[in-house]
Parts: sequence; C-alpha cells; structure tokens
Amino acid sequence: MLELRDVVVAYGGVKALHGVSLTVNEGELVTVLGANGAGKSTSLMAISGLLPLSGGSIWFRGERLDTLKSHEVVRRGITQAPEGRRVFGPMSVEENLRLGAFTRKGFPHRALKRVYELFPRLEERRGQMAGTLSGGEQQMLAIGRALMAEPKLMLLDEPSLGLAPLLVRSIFKTIRSINQSGVTVILVEQNARAALRLASRGYVLDVGRLVLEDSSANLLDNPQVKDAYLGSA
Amino acid sequence: MEFFLQQFTNGLTVGAIYALIALGYTMVYGVMKLINFAHGELFTLGAFIGYALLVTFGITGRVGLGLGLAISVVLVAGLVGVAGHVLERVAYRPLRHSDRLAAVVSALGASIFLQNAIMLSWGANYRSYSADLLPSVSVSIFGQSFPLLKILIFLTAVVVMLALWLFVHRTRIGMAIRAAAIDQGAAKLMGIDVSSVIAVVFVIGPALGGIAGLIVGLCYGQINFGMGQLYGLKAFTAAIIGGIGNIQGAMVGGLLLGLVEALGAAYISVAWKDALTFVVLIMILVVRPTGLLPERVAEKL
Ligand SMILES: Nc1ncnc2c1ncn2[C@@H]1O[C@H](COP(=O)(O)OP(=O)(O)OP(=O)(O)O)[C@@H](O)[C@H]1O
Ligand SMILES: [Mg+2]
Repeated sequence: MLELRDVVVAYGGVKALHGVSLTVNEGELVTVLGANGAGKSTSLMAISGLLPLSGGSIWFRGERLDTLKSHEVVRRGITQAPEGRRVFGPMSVEENLRLGAFTRKGFPHRALKRVYELFPRLEERRGQMAGTLSGGEQQMLAIGRALMAEPKLMLLDEPSLGLAPLLVRSIFKTIRSINQSGVTVILVEQNARAALRLASRGYVLDVGRLVLEDSSANLLDNPQVKDAYLGSA
Repeated sequence: MEFFLQQFTNGLTVGAIYALIALGYTMVYGVMKLINFAHGELFTLGAFIGYALLVTFGITGRVGLGLGLAISVVLVAGLVGVAGHVLERVAYRPLRHSDRLAAVVSALGASIFLQNAIMLSWGANYRSYSADLLPSVSVSIFGQSFPLLKILIFLTAVVVMLALWLFVHRTRIGMAIRAAAIDQGAAKLMGIDVSSVIAVVFVIGPALGGIAGLIVGLCYGQINFGMGQLYGLKAFTAAIIGGIGNIQGAMVGGLLLGLVEALGAAYISVAWKDALTFVVLIMILVVRPTGLLPERVAEKL
C-alpha cells in the first residue's frame, strides 16, 4: 500500500534520513521505533508531504506520493496525528474536528458521530477551546481529528508521549480498534514494548537508517532491541 | 458638549479608516508572520483609483450618486485586491522558503516601487476629490447636528468589518485562514492548501486597505502619492495596539487610536496629534507588548 524507497531527507545541508526503505501493507498496523532524533517524525512528515525529499521516492497504491502537495496527500487518504498533538488551541474541539474533515464535502456528520463514539470525552467538551483540554484529551482530539477525513492510512507520532500509563493503555486500545475497522496504521513510538504488542511488524530506525525489520514477536525477543529499547525487564 | 461630540465623531471616522487598513496588516501577519510594508501603498492606490473613477471619469455624474459610489467601492476593492494578489505572487511567494530578512527587504522594495509607480502615473502634486462630489447634509441626533458623510463612512466601515468577521468565523475558507494562522504545518496536515489561503488573505487585506483609501479621498479631499506612509504607520500602530494577528484587535485598536488622536488634538494640541499616536504605541509596547485584547479574546485572527 505504502512504500518508501531509499528516502533521503535533509534539513538545510544536514541529512536526517539516509536512504530509508520500508513497506506497509493494506490493513496492517506497523510500528516504527527509534531513539530521540532517529528520524521517525521526519519520515512521517515526508510521507505527509511537509518535507521535500532530497533522494528516493514514496509510493502509495501505485501512485507516486512525494511529488504531491500536502493537501493532495490528505485527499489520497493519508492523515497524521503529529508529535506534540498540535491541536488548534484557540479553536473549539468541534472546530478542530471539522478541520480534520476539511478535504471532505459538506458537514461531516458520519465521521463526527464515529469520533464521538470512540472518544465520548470529546463530545462532552465539544464547545471547549482545544487549548484548555488536558494532555490526554488533546491526544484524543489529535487522533479524532486525523480520523475525520476517513483515511485509508493513518500516521500516529508518539501518541503515548507524556500520558499516564492508564491513559496510554486506553489510547492504544482505541488505536487497535481503529485498525480493526480497516484503517492501516503506522505507529511511531518510543514506548517500544507497548507498540510491539499492538503492531504486527516493526521497523527500528537509528540515526536516519533502518537497522532492523521484523515481526513484533521477533523484535520483542531480539537482544539488541531488548537492550536498547525495552530496558532490562 | 457639542465640541466634544464633534471631535468624537471625527475620531470614530478616522479610527474606522485606521481599522480598515490595520486589518490588512493583521491578516497578512496572522497567516505569514510577515509585515506587508507595501500595504500603505496599496491604500494609496485605492485613493487614486477612486480619484480616477469619481473625478477623472466622473462616474457619479453618469450613473447617479448612489450607484456611482457603490460601483466605485466595488471596483476599488477589486482592483486593489488584484494588485495585492500580484504583489504576493511577485514579491513574496518566491521568497516563501528563504529567510525572513529577504522577505522584509522585498516588502520594502515593493513599497518604494508602488509609491513611485503611483507618482509617475498621477504626478507628485496633491490631487483633490471635488468638494461637491457628495452633498453636505447634516443629520441631527439628540439636538446635535452631525455631518451625514462621516456617519455613513463610519457605518460602511463597521459593515465591512462585520462582514469580514462573519467570513472568517462562519465560512470554510475563514476556518482555514484561522487554522493556518495558528499553525501552518498542522493546517497542512488537515489538507488545507496554505498557498491558496495566503493568496486569499493577500486579496482581502489589500481590498480593505483600498476601500480605506477611497474613504480618505471622499472624507478629506486631498490625496498624494506619499499619503500611505503616515496612514500605514498609524494603522500598523493600531494593529499592534490590538495585538497583531488579531482581527477584533485591529478593529478595536483602530477606533481607539482614532479617538485618542481626535480628542488629543482637540484638548491637548493639534501639533502633537501625530506624536500622540506614537506615545500610545510606546506605552502599549512597554506595558502590554502582546496588545490590549486579553489572551482569550486574542485568538489569533
Ligand atoms: N526542523 C528541523 N531543523 C533541523 N533539524 C531537524 C529539524 N527537525 C528535526 N531535525 C533533526 O533531524 C533528526 C531527526 O529528527 P526527528 O524529529 O525526525 O527524530 P525523531 O525520531 O522523531 O525523534 P523524537 O523521538 O525525539 O521525536 C534529528 O537529528 C533532528 O535534530
Ligand atoms: Mg519525533
């Protein structure tokens, strides 16, 4: 469904991705792991069309993606809940959600109903300014907003960041149910153990290079991964 | 009391003009984080296009006063809007990914270019809108008489600002403009074409500034190729007073500045009128650099 071929991305003259290749199949939930600065967010932003490639290409359902503008990428059915949530703070919860459906014609009744079913908390706070929500609620909003366009592929960048363990569990459960409803998901995480339990496969990035690629079960057993990302437990 | 009310009306009129111009600064800044230094010149262009229509072409004599004025407003807004669009394409878009300073220099260059283009087209001398263009009727309210012209101008400005507010808060494009002003990257992730948002803002802002130029011509008569500098500076001050990037702020800031100026000129000294503006600016910058409107209202745009 999605394929990155030798993708190179640089900030100014400094390369952040040195030729990354990965594939995601329809219906999968794939995780991308890596330490701080490994290039996980950079990869997602390149897919979303917010960063230009200096080499390689990105393909989605047989079409070249990296030559498209970011709004055309959303129209193809790829949305993102970015790192740090980036909700529109001075706008209401519902306005944020409606912006998520910006590429859709008409009022997004169906999508809104679905998001409110997934996150009843958002419906309770629909009129509240997004900036006044708690961190967990903002994360729900960021995910809900990314669902509003009824995407085929959803990119989630560290949805567990800064959340209490209980909340992380509930967000991850929701991500699983989103995936089971037919949305393909790329989940970027530092919380490797939880992400690998959710995903079927995983990739490990290290300073801009893919160093490992395997099924989640194998990655969970991999001594290198255990050492670097799962702690000693 | 009568004197006070007169000055108050004057203040509201000039304040409405500042507010209209300030909206252009604030909308462009909101989305692009760039001060459009050529905005004052777009305002001047509006005044001169109005002059061409009303004086040179004599449109009100041909189609009647009401229709002539309405056509003038629409044409001035449209043509200055187009000029703003061209400006964005030529002077700003190519620099979208360069550093900030390049855009500022380009903005200053565009300002000098426009000012000279206007001077070469209409000459360096003052031009005046004929005094008999508009009938000088007064209306009496609570036993005081007010010039109808000023009231109409104030009302026009208020209607334009209300329309803008509705556009920004109640339409799809308006929502996209607000989103892009808050976080351009996040707006792109929503599928908003930020380039077209910028293009829209660069039509609306200049169109409003152009209307302000026409109003100045009608209200005060004299226009000149350099008029955009002082008006631009004052309107910019108004935008800062209200909190730059904030639409309601520009409206409030403009009206406030107009009132301070008119009442200051009346009760303190006419000679200090312009200096007063900058005293207010400095006071705001020292006491409340983010502008007068509280953070909650100061929802960017
Ligand atoms: N806007 C930027 N300008 C310059 N360099 C950047 C920028 N954004 C990221 N980088 C650099 O690119 C590299 C990859 O960063 P990226 O944000 O993709 O990492 P990440 O894997 O998402 O890390 P984290 O887990 O901290 O979010 C880092 O070395 C970072 O310093
Ligand atoms: Mg990151």
